[in-house]
Amino acid sequence: MHIHKLNKWGESLLWLLNPLLIVLAFFNDVTKFSNTIQWLGKLHPLFLHFPIVLGIAIVVYLLFFQEKKLDPSTEKLLFTGNALLASLVALFGLFLSKQDAYDTHLLTIHKWGGVAIAVFGWSFIYIHSSSLQFKRVLGLVYLIVLLIFTHKGAQLTHGEDVLSFPKPKPVKVAENNNADSTLTVYEKAIAPIFEQKCIGCHGPEKIKGNLQLTSPELIIKGGKAGNLLNSLNNKEALLLQRIHLPNADEEHMPPDGKIQLTLEELNLLNRWVKAGGDFKKKIKEMAKTDSLALLAIAYKAPKKGEDNSKGNAPDLKEYNSSYCTVNYSYYGSDEIFVDFFQGSFYKTASLKKLEAIKAKIASLNMQGMPLTKEDIAIISGFPNLRKLNLNYTKLNLNDLTPLKSLVKLKNISICGIDLNPISLSSFMDKAPFTEVHIWNNKTNEKEYAGLVANNKKTKIIIGDNLDDQILKINSPVIEQDSGIIVNHLDISLKHSMKGAVIRYTTDGTEPDSINSPIYTKKFQLTKYSTLKIKAFKPGWLASDIIQKTFYKSEIHPDSIYFLTPPDKKYPGNNGARTLIDYELGEQNFSNGKWIAYRDTTMKFVINFKQATTLHQAHFNAFVDNGAYIFPILSIKIEGSNDGKSFKYLNEATFPSLEKTDMVRENKSFSCAFPDKAAYKYYRFTLLNLKKLPKWHPGKGTHAWIFIDELFLD
Amino acid sequence: MNEFLEHGLNQNRRKFLSKLSLGIGGLALGSLMVPGLFDASSEEELFTNVLPHFAPKAKRIIYLFQNGAPSQLDLFDYKPLLQKMQGAELPASIRMGQRLTGMTANQAKFPLAGSKFNFAQYGSNGAWFSETLPHMASIADDFCMVKTMYTEAINHDPALTFFQTGSQVGNRPSMGSWISYGLGSENKNLPAFCVLLSKGKGNGQGVYSKLWNNGFLDSIHQGVQFSSGEEPVKYLTDPEFIKRGDKRVMLDEIAELNQESYKKIGDPEIVTKIQQYELAYRMQMAVPEITSLQNEPESIVKMYGPECLIPGTYAANCLLARKLSENGVRFVQLYHQGWDTHGNLPKELEGQCKDVDQSSAALIKDLKQRGLLDETLVIWGGEFGRTNYCQGALTKDNYGRDHHPKCFTILMAGGGVKPGVYGETDDFGYNINSLPVHIHDFQATVMHLMGIDHERFTFKHQGRRYRLTDVSGKVINEIIS
Repeated sequence: MHIHKLNKWGESLLWLLNPLLIVLAFFNDVTKFSNTIQWLGKLHPLFLHFPIVLGIAIVVYLLFFQEKKLDPSTEKLLFTGNALLASLVALFGLFLSKQDAYDTHLLTIHKWGGVAIAVFGWSFIYIHSSSLQFKRVLGLVYLIVLLIFTHKGAQLTHGEDVLSFPKPKPVKVAENNNADSTLTVYEKAIAPIFEQKCIGCHGPEKIKGNLQLTSPELIIKGGKAGNLLNSLNNKEALLLQRIHLPNADEEHMPPDGKIQLTLEELNLLNRWVKAGGDFKKKIKEMAKTDSLALLAIAYKAPKKGEDNSKGNAPDLKEYNSSYCTVNYSYYGSDEIFVDFFQGSFYKTASLKKLEAIKAKIASLNMQGMPLTKEDIAIISGFPNLRKLNLNYTKLNLNDLTPLKSLVKLKNISICGIDLNPISLSSFMDKAPFTEVHIWNNKTNEKEYAGLVANNKKTKIIIGDNLDDQILKINSPVIEQDSGIIVNHLDISLKHSMKGAVIRYTTDGTEPDSINSPIYTKKFQLTKYSTLKIKAFKPGWLASDIIQKTFYKSEIHPDSIYFLTPPDKKYPGNNGARTLIDYELGEQNFSNGKWIAYRDTTMKFVINFKQATTLHQAHFNAFVDNGAYIFPILSIKIEGSNDGKSFKYLNEATFPSLEKTDMVRENKSFSCAFPDKAAYKYYRFTLLNLKKLPKWHPGKGTHAWIFIDELFLD
Repeated sequence: MNEFLEHGLNQNRRKFLSKLSLGIGGLALGSLMVPGLFDASSEEELFTNVLPHFAPKAKRIIYLFQNGAPSQLDLFDYKPLLQKMQGAELPASIRMGQRLTGMTANQAKFPLAGSKFNFAQYGSNGAWFSETLPHMASIADDFCMVKTMYTEAINHDPALTFFQTGSQVGNRPSMGSWISYGLGSENKNLPAFCVLLSKGKGNGQGVYSKLWNNGFLDSIHQGVQFSSGEEPVKYLTDPEFIKRGDKRVMLDEIAELNQESYKKIGDPEIVTKIQQYELAYRMQMAVPEITSLQNEPESIVKMYGPECLIPGTYAANCLLARKLSENGVRFVQLYHQGWDTHGNLPKELEGQCKDVDQSSAALIKDLKQRGLLDETLVIWGGEFGRTNYCQGALTKDNYGRDHHPKCFTILMAGGGVKPGVYGETDDFGYNINSLPVHIHDFQATVMHLMGIDHERFTFKHQGRRYRLTDVSGKVINEIIS
């Protein structure tokens, strides 16, 4: 290929690589690289020396040989080649930085240094027309930049003292995993922990924090942060502090993302440091019951690179589904909790899948799953299960026998599973459980009293069973919102409990369990009536009575008007006509269907074009003493034919409330017309309580009355 | 990911990319080479992976909120001195200039009012209960009774908001939302945070959706309020002619469209919308199965009281709470209204207690007999306490009590709390003698029981990291078993 073309290609490639490099360097903290790309990072150490050598060559050329000028395109090839290599190496470096935890401070310097070198090298392509002097200065600066920042890289991998004089090589500890008690605790357990989890960064290859954990001498020497093993000022030794910090803490060791220490390893280090951090004590010299010795003997170092500390959280993703939740009990924990939901979607396959992680499952909730013996066989293979919920799993107690082999299973719930004291007793024989929950709707405490008393080891939780307790049943419900009968009104009654019987009356008497009709299907009301209903069920006391008044308006006045205005806040949506619009206001007194009086006495007139005889007037009112709404005290009726002079017809009075009453209800107030005479005008006066009683919070003030409708017949 | 950067990337990705010239085209190459460089942040995923911070004692919470503030002096905090000094003026040395509500601040006298109810000690820890709560008293040994709660608010709304969100001002996420955000849902077919409302006959105070709001968290973490009618979740059943398969296809198509507009606009609420449709789809199957109370055996009905079969009652909500909780709902929040006993306290309190006593106790017993109490934290209490002096006229057997923030009692059971009685108030029941527990302390402790370090559990919003406990709160280790 012609050299020009090569230069042109190289230049274009640089325009691609360098912006990319800059962008990636900026977003370095938030980028994630695929494995392939990360692999490219391995090329960083392979290539990094080329641009250094080329760079130095360029500097030498600029300083000393500029007069013996190369031909322009060869010179450009040299610059372009250097720039390309520098950019590539810097890019590879970015990829590499993701693979290992490096000292972030050094890394940042090295990163930006690398970017600077790449961009600097790139700029040489465009300086051919500058003065010789300028080029020399530039060359010198380039050399300094090159040396400083590549040195940072060397420090990253070879430790900060890379340029100091060689130190004596540490003696490597023999790898020995057998339980040979002639070994020291250090050799048997401590050194392998350091070897597997620490020396990647604190060893001969990388000496972070100036600390090496490769030999007793170096461990005793400590690092930049000080002595590792001695506790000072009542503080824990530095080593223990660092390994016990929360994972998220920057100073936590090993750093977040690296293979962590197991609880066993933490325990070992803790006991070893607290016992004085002795490098020489042999296991056989220690007491047989010494926890440190026992731990050291039992300790098996993981294979190289094997993570024995925990599975990473994403590992569990494949076991999770919409109907099965699989989680570590907490972040960094080794224990897995499993919960299954929605029995109708249960498949044995999803349980079987868990066999891959069975050693870590500590708690399993299978409530309501339709399980079979096959499922129990799988569960019996979860060796570290501690808690198991099998409530309502439709199993037989016999099916559960294999679970007895799970020696760590302490807490088991088998509510809803059919059992009796004898079958339970044999199930619990030689079982590992310490707590068994056996509640179902048939168990009763007395039956199991003997078993509970005989089982000191296992707590049997029977729970409450109130089947034979007699309680009052809840009240039935009238399913008809309207309270007004036009021609007829359909009434349905309902009770929430299966097997409950509803009896009812419509004549105002109380329903009883013998004579009153039983409700079977919906019926009709055709006239003013008070419906009273009551529920009965064997094994229960009869319910409270529910009652509701249904009005029938047979006579409709031609007009209606107030003599005294209602309270401004509750004038009614249709003025006085609100009283005869066939709309009841239910329990919401501010919905415009109510008319209210407080400071004035309610007076109004109804008018017929033809003189009309009336028998009864029913007012539907609201009573709520909490809201200062009291019953109507009296209703006075007067009749007239000219609308001016009225004749007294009748007055009905009603009791007020007692202080023990807590009322919030719709209530009917009626008044009869004693003589048969017909009038065109009727005047009504409804008296409200003018002075609230002493016991009421609003004592002395006026009480409200609320009326939503007037019915005449 | 840095929030500012994330915001920039999210909102303007398209604009940003379309503005790039070829020279910086390396950027485009960058995103090809590095999948995920410009993906919306999966910070939340990362975040939930580090939670719980440590081994949790409780996996789920049922919070029985007694809305309106039950009177601790008539239920748990027995003060014979008040009975002895009935009618005497509250000494100024006790009140110490405490701020009062507008309802009693202008009262000329503050006559002390002893409780009308009889008290007795129950259980091995000698916890006091008044005669109004016989069922709860019978399981006294399951309760951790904290007698020395105190709050900063003196009125319902700020006090409730403070309890639920850690701030009196509102707009912060509710406790349940935080838990949902931090721990996610156990059962993916149900919301992680459910809300159930009921109302007693006593003087009521409102509850409103801001109390279970997600605040600045993603709206998927908002509490889902169940209706108190026959159908707890409305509009869950499909119209007759829609088959479930068709619905699946429809949702997939809608999700595709939503994904498309998410790519364009980058509004994270679009992603939430997709998740919500999915959740609703799965809830269609799960909810009817779980909320049906018909199949509960009669002995359970008797335990909670027959009212538990009437939708919308406190008893029914308790039973429903057990069913939701055992099916993996992280946080079930009940509110029972009607405890605001400014006047006519004896009568109203009795009615309220009747509503809640049996079913509250039944819930705890029921969880226990099923082996679930050890992993379910049950909390019972209101937003503040009530005064030791009478509001309005004091008569021999009638009185009222105003709001009192300086001490009140809450109960907790199960979920890793240590049964017993914690803290002591003075003989007047007005100030705390020892071991005060601030709302933030309570919240920190609840978080701790769920395996969360309240100081590390934060959300960055508008440049500040927020947490449920704001800038205070300490875990009360003494009440943790």
